[in-house]
Amino acid sequence: MYQAFLSFRYLRARPINWIGVAGIFVAVSALILILSIMSGFLAESRNHLRGSLADVLIQPHLDRPVQLDGEFRPVRTDAERLCELALTVPEVAAASPHYTWYGMLAAQRRERMVSDPNFGDLSLVKLVGIDPEREFTVSDLREDLLRESQLLLDNRVADADDPFGPIPGYEPDGRPLDPVLVGEQLASLWGLRRGRTLELVTAVLDAETGAPREPVSRTFVVAGTFRSMNNEFDLQTLYLPREVMADWMGSGRSFTDVTVRLHDYANQREAALEGLGTSLHAEGFLHARGAGGWSELRTWEDFQRSMLAAIENEKSLMGIMLSLVLLVAAFTVFAILSMLVQEKRRDIGILTALGATPGGVLGTFLMIGFWEATLGSLLGLGAGVWAAAEINAIEAALSSLFGFTIFNREVYLFDHIPTVIEPGAVALIVIGAFVATLLAAAFPAWRAARLDPVEALRHE
Amino acid sequence: MSEAGKLEGSGAAAPLVVRGVRRSFEVGERRIEILHGVDLDLMSGERLCLMGASGAGKTTLLNVIGLLDRPDEGRVEILGTDAWSRSAPERARLRNHSLGFVFQFYHLLPELSALENATLTARLAGLRGGDLAEHVDRATAILERFGLKERLRHRPGRLSGGEQQRVAIARALLLDPPILIADEPTGNLDRATGEKVLELLFEEQERRSFSLLLVTHDERLAQRCSRVVYMEDGLIQADSTTPIPH
Repeated sequence: MYQAFLSFRYLRARPINWIGVAGIFVAVSALILILSIMSGFLAESRNHLRGSLADVLIQPHLDRPVQLDGEFRPVRTDAERLCELALTVPEVAAASPHYTWYGMLAAQRRERMVSDPNFGDLSLVKLVGIDPEREFTVSDLREDLLRESQLLLDNRVADADDPFGPIPGYEPDGRPLDPVLVGEQLASLWGLRRGRTLELVTAVLDAETGAPREPVSRTFVVAGTFRSMNNEFDLQTLYLPREVMADWMGSGRSFTDVTVRLHDYANQREAALEGLGTSLHAEGFLHARGAGGWSELRTWEDFQRSMLAAIENEKSLMGIMLSLVLLVAAFTVFAILSMLVQEKRRDIGILTALGATPGGVLGTFLMIGFWEATLGSLLGLGAGVWAAAEINAIEAALSSLFGFTIFNREVYLFDHIPTVIEPGAVALIVIGAFVATLLAAAFPAWRAARLDPVEALRHE
Repeated sequence: MSEAGKLEGSGAAAPLVVRGVRRSFEVGERRIEILHGVDLDLMSGERLCLMGASGAGKTTLLNVIGLLDRPDEGRVEILGTDAWSRSAPERARLRNHSLGFVFQFYHLLPELSALENATLTARLAGLRGGDLAEHVDRATAILERFGLKERLRHRPGRLSGGEQQRVAIARALLLDPPILIADEPTGNLDRATGEKVLELLFEEQERRSFSLLLVTHDERLAQRCSRVVYMEDGLIQADSTTPIPH
């Protein structure tokens, strides 16, 4: 097949063709590397976001009665029975009741609240009342309590198995202070340390009317800090004992929601939601299924949807932007081949005179694009996959070479640069590069095939 | 239509027959007619010399005969086939198998070695594997006979003009075409080298008995042809001899 023979000779003899190969190589390897890193970030972020949240949140709405067997009954509020029932659903691995409400941190030096712009955002916190032992079965709190501190030294809980254990600290009236667990980021910003006191302010709702009562404040003692790897969560969440929350709120309820961990979230999500909804509704804990599903059951993804969508979106945008590099590479191939066709006009005339068909001439120049696409894509594939697999070693080598940290682990809260090589995406990139290059080569090749051989032979 | 160039009652088979070929070009708003209805027969084994002043239409006629430039009117028959009525791939096949070209400026591909250039027609014919290898051996033998044994792997840039033209002749002869068209094959060579190249070409013609259509300005060269045809103003004006197969 003379097309392959001649095109390979032209490719080999003209160094400028290697610029096209290099362009495709860079585009393919960069696309694979960046998308692998973005996929890694997404996967790690999902892990971290999920780590601080349970798989499913059961949040009964108490404001209206449940209709069962044609009768309206008040929503049941027995946390223990609800947890028992949840555990009868085969997909459910663990359940833990929460008492969740919102409050504000009152600064020890109140003038700081006015002068420091951060306080506007940070003073509002989510107060989560938990039973530690059960909480450990549904979330990664125990790991979060044990995770090595990055900002504060020796500031973790005294005993991770009993995080609300006795902490020395008393009210002026002699009553022991209740403990609170604070996110490491928040503790660092507020200057909180284990054993220091903390004042929380909240508005408690009236159990009868549901209207807010007078704001109430209460002093707690910091039992320790946790680090969940989710910055936002650490800045906005405080853990308290559930019975303390229930007592403080005084609403008569012992919980506001129950968090559930599934055996296999990815594959059993829908079945678990259906099982939980059906069994909890049958006993009057939840309202009937609506058109959009069980409105009182939400997955962790429902809460982190915007965050996950933002990372997904960033990945897509990065892909689109990097595809422009691929377009530039394809355009380079187009420019190089156009130049080559111009330069090789006489050769095209000779080939035609000696018996090449227009299709043969087209095939010859198209095949130069094919070699460039093949070499560039394969080399880019190898380099991209290698770089994605060895990114941390590469980063360490480059950091030591240039003398500064390229990947700041404190900013991202990752110990390493996460990468996930997705075979589908890699295949798409390689095929995309291949097709784009062949398309870029098609026009110059078509022009070569249409050259008038008499004119071409005259070309010097 | 000129009657000169057309053979009457020769009885011999003519591998190339040209009848009533007209070709004109547009230059600006004018249309200039270069060939005014050319008739020409090239007999089997004949050595025909086509002469004429610059602008007489020799190259245009050669391009039409070589199936590179479509005539406005007329017919070119190659081995009895009305070549211009055939499809582009069929014409390409005729060029490859039935016509051999030798150009004034050699027209070798600079990226290929002498041997690769010489085997180009075989590659264009689609030969592969054993068939191609056989033709590579044939080309090697021809090039060695042409005194290029030490130059087989050299690229054209490292060959002299005479050597390049010998490679071009080897390329034209590889597939044993019945017709060889040579457009001023010595026009770019010094006299001594030109002589050697011509000797080689004529030797090969005697060996293979192809029909040779030679375009030249060189009167001495014309004397060595069996027939000389003069072109003027797009017509064949004179046919010097009754053709005798060489």
